[in-house]
Amino acid sequence: MKVVLENLTKIFPSRDKKSGQEVIAVNDFTFEIPDGQLVGLLGPSGCGKSTTLYMISGLQKPSSGKIYFGEDDVTELSTENRGIGLVFQNYALYPHMTVKQNIMFPLQNLKGKDKLTKDEMLERTENAARLVQIDELLERKPSELSGGQQQRVAIARALVKMPRVLLLDEPLSNLDARLRLQTREEIRRIQKETGITTIFVTHDQEEAMSISDIIVVMKLGVVQQIGEPQSVYDDPKNLFVAKFLGTPPINVLEGKVENGKVYIGDDDVLDVAGVEDQDVYIGIRPEGLEPSDDGRLNCTINNIEVMGRDASVVASNSASLNPVVRAIINSDVRIDTTKQTIKFNVKPHKFFLFNKETEERVYFEVN
Amino acid sequence: MSKSVMSVMQERDIQKRTFMQKMFKIFGKTGTYAFLFIMALIVLFPFYWMIISSLKTLPEYRQAIPTFWPKQIIWGNYAEAFSAASLAELFTNTVIVGVASTLLSLVITVLSAFAFARLEFKGREAVFGAMLATMMIPGELFTITNYITVTNLKWTDTFQALIVPFLVSTFYIYLLRQNFMQIPNELYLAAKVDGTSDIKYLWRVMIPLALPTLISITILKMMGAWNTYIWPNLVAKNLPLITNGLRNAFTDTSGQANYPVQMAAVALVSAPLFLVFLFLRKYIMQGVSRSGIKG
Amino acid sequence: MVESRHQWKAWLYLSPAIILLLIFTVWPIFNTLRMAFLDGYGNMAAIGGRTFEFGIDNFVKVIDYKDFLLCLKNTAILCVATVPISTILALLIAVALNSIKPLQKTLQTIFFLPYVTNSIAIGMVFAAMFNIVGLRDGGTNAQTWGIINNAIEFFGGEPINWINAGSTYTANIFVMIVYIVWNALPFKILILLGGLQSINKQYYDAAKVDGTRKFRVLTRITVPLLSPMLAYVIITGFIGGFKEYSSIIGIFGDKMSAPGGESLNTMVGFVYDALARDRQGRACAAALILFVIILIVTLINNKFIKKHVHY
Repeated sequence: MKVVLENLTKIFPSRDKKSGQEVIAVNDFTFEIPDGQLVGLLGPSGCGKSTTLYMISGLQKPSSGKIYFGEDDVTELSTENRGIGLVFQNYALYPHMTVKQNIMFPLQNLKGKDKLTKDEMLERTENAARLVQIDELLERKPSELSGGQQQRVAIARALVKMPRVLLLDEPLSNLDARLRLQTREEIRRIQKETGITTIFVTHDQEEAMSISDIIVVMKLGVVQQIGEPQSVYDDPKNLFVAKFLGTPPINVLEGKVENGKVYIGDDDVLDVAGVEDQDVYIGIRPEGLEPSDDGRLNCTINNIEVMGRDASVVASNSASLNPVVRAIINSDVRIDTTKQTIKFNVKPHKFFLFNKETEERVYFEVN
Repeated sequence: MSKSVMSVMQERDIQKRTFMQKMFKIFGKTGTYAFLFIMALIVLFPFYWMIISSLKTLPEYRQAIPTFWPKQIIWGNYAEAFSAASLAELFTNTVIVGVASTLLSLVITVLSAFAFARLEFKGREAVFGAMLATMMIPGELFTITNYITVTNLKWTDTFQALIVPFLVSTFYIYLLRQNFMQIPNELYLAAKVDGTSDIKYLWRVMIPLALPTLISITILKMMGAWNTYIWPNLVAKNLPLITNGLRNAFTDTSGQANYPVQMAAVALVSAPLFLVFLFLRKYIMQGVSRSGIKG
Repeated sequence: MVESRHQWKAWLYLSPAIILLLIFTVWPIFNTLRMAFLDGYGNMAAIGGRTFEFGIDNFVKVIDYKDFLLCLKNTAILCVATVPISTILALLIAVALNSIKPLQKTLQTIFFLPYVTNSIAIGMVFAAMFNIVGLRDGGTNAQTWGIINNAIEFFGGEPINWINAGSTYTANIFVMIVYIVWNALPFKILILLGGLQSINKQYYDAAKVDGTRKFRVLTRITVPLLSPMLAYVIITGFIGGFKEYSSIIGIFGDKMSAPGGESLNTMVGFVYDALARDRQGRACAAALILFVIILIVTLINNKFIKKHVHY
């Protein structure tokens, strides 16, 4: 089932009655989610990603715009008629019911021609439990489960009625780091197995990048960029997206373009073509900085952090907007730490220019 | 997994569902409000009836077809009620008992709660536990012996008989102790370092911080004095409080009772409680939801 | 907590409370037990120098006593009838209140009003509403059948003699039930509404996503999640019901019956009657029996709660 959002907008009335300032939580969001894809809505808190999810679920009403499931316009349809599964951030498992009762609950609500017999319900419940690998825990109460297990029960409960669309609200935020890795693989596997169009919300870019087919980066209610994770990472449309994706974060420095050269301070670090002279922000991915004796970017070296396979050169440059300039290099490369300065060459495809006013990407050709 | 339970919907289907869900919503809301309004009317009716009856003439009250607003408003019923039930004396007695027992009770409660919450002494837990245990026992068990005690002390028909036996409420001590415990102990230590005395600290720091609880206790205690019936009826027949006086002033249930005057008296007795409620609703409701006791 | 070098200070602060508790709470517990087991104990007689035998005569007398059984019956009927009615009504009102936004605060205040009343005073109002007043001469001394009967007639029913001379026991009890339920609602609504408001709203969102119907949400989600509060109002309701007394005085006066009718006296009333007649031994025995009944009901409730109340 594809999901189409058309000019979706949500405006909240102001909390402060005096100023009367409305809050635009989601602004003119248009997007078509292809059938069977796993989509991550990504952004810092307050960017409107959860509001978008809740509008798709029907728990919140859009101020304007339309939502289609397949060809059906569901904008006016209430939650229970949309055929969605929703996993809440804190799972919202009914504390007084066992795991089995929790999973079976949505099936018992079906009526009319969808009504199931007891045996069918039981079978569906067991199938769902097996899918998320909690079939051993059916008789337990939620309070007797670990966070990861509760998460699986919540997913099973959302899946058991075979929803047309599965929605997950910050599905991993309540789990510890190790479980998070494991569970995100699990979500990926379950989504692939069921083929249900799945939309999830997260503020963790790594999480979104690692499992999504498509990510949607949002900021203050406005969609910044949509695309496959790798292509968004490799080709950010603006400074915000570039900064938001990637760990360690991208190095951002102030600079300017003059006569086809990019300057950081006095260093001309790259020759570019087709760019007008202007002040720019320069984004360089940490893996885009190569220490080299004939490097064109001079930095002061602070220290080296070795992390096994890779090492991280921590340096500083007066033009940097981040506290440090960081380069990820192969740990085999030896750096002479007795010297105060280090020279870097930049890899052009890891090097982005953004107009200083608009913060939009400035495209260039490498000479 | 097999095909979705929600079969693919047709355009018409969606419109129908949208319409149905709107109708359900409207019906649901209307029904809810209708139910609440009817229940609210039932709850309010006795008050309304009390007020309009208190303003009617006796013949109008006795009309076979009732009037829902007095044809002629008789304020005189109130004056008559005031003297017939000697309300002035009853009010005075009740206010004396209410104020005295509230003040003394607050002092005792604050001192005890402070000791339990802030001071370290041998047997604290044991004494506190024993106090809590007495909360389980219904008051009727105490009343019998207290009646004897008060009689033997020759306190019959005195104010102290109405005040002293009920000065300590273990529940209020418990409530206030919990409240005091939430106040960071560092404040107390800082006060000690500055050489502040316990009493001064209590007065300047803890009491202001626990004020909402204290107000709740005050109101409930006053309401208690206003509503008590059984005990004054036992030990102070000649020093009646408001409730006793009210009931005893109108004993005629034979069918000849002058209900307008009686309702005026009831309205006069109820009015102070309503006024207090009007202004201190928040504290009363808070206090009640925490304590779950009437008066 | 402060290690006080002056332990006496703590005891000083506690002394008023402890002294009063010893006299008016601790001593009565022992004394009540003592008096209950001294055959035919009476205080005046004791002061007069009479001594009493140890025994269970008081209990035997109390249980044999026809009045006591009547009081027990009245109390039990009132309890069994009013607790379920008021609990269910309060639950419905609380759920309805919780589901609305406009007027919620106003309605909540209205529903709390009966709490801030004097149960005897408003009992007199109820009596007025049910009472037949006046003589049937059709002239100046016209007769009203009371507003309740007027309403019944308006809807085409037959008026009933509720509380006047010649009224039936059933009619009397019915009036009491109406009044007690009216009186018990505010506290229950307050507690249940508080409980409802503390239920995580996400459970309702989850139920909505799953297309749960309203009634099922009430029975499968709201009631179970509210069960601790429900248990609380039911237990306090039963305890309050077993101590019912002044509401009856409010309506029927201190004779506690319709003129010439069967007595509506309760357990607590029995205790006080015995007390006022200097039969303290008997009063103590009756009070202890009341205590034991309350204890048993509470224990049964607790057992039931363990089974059905979640978490």
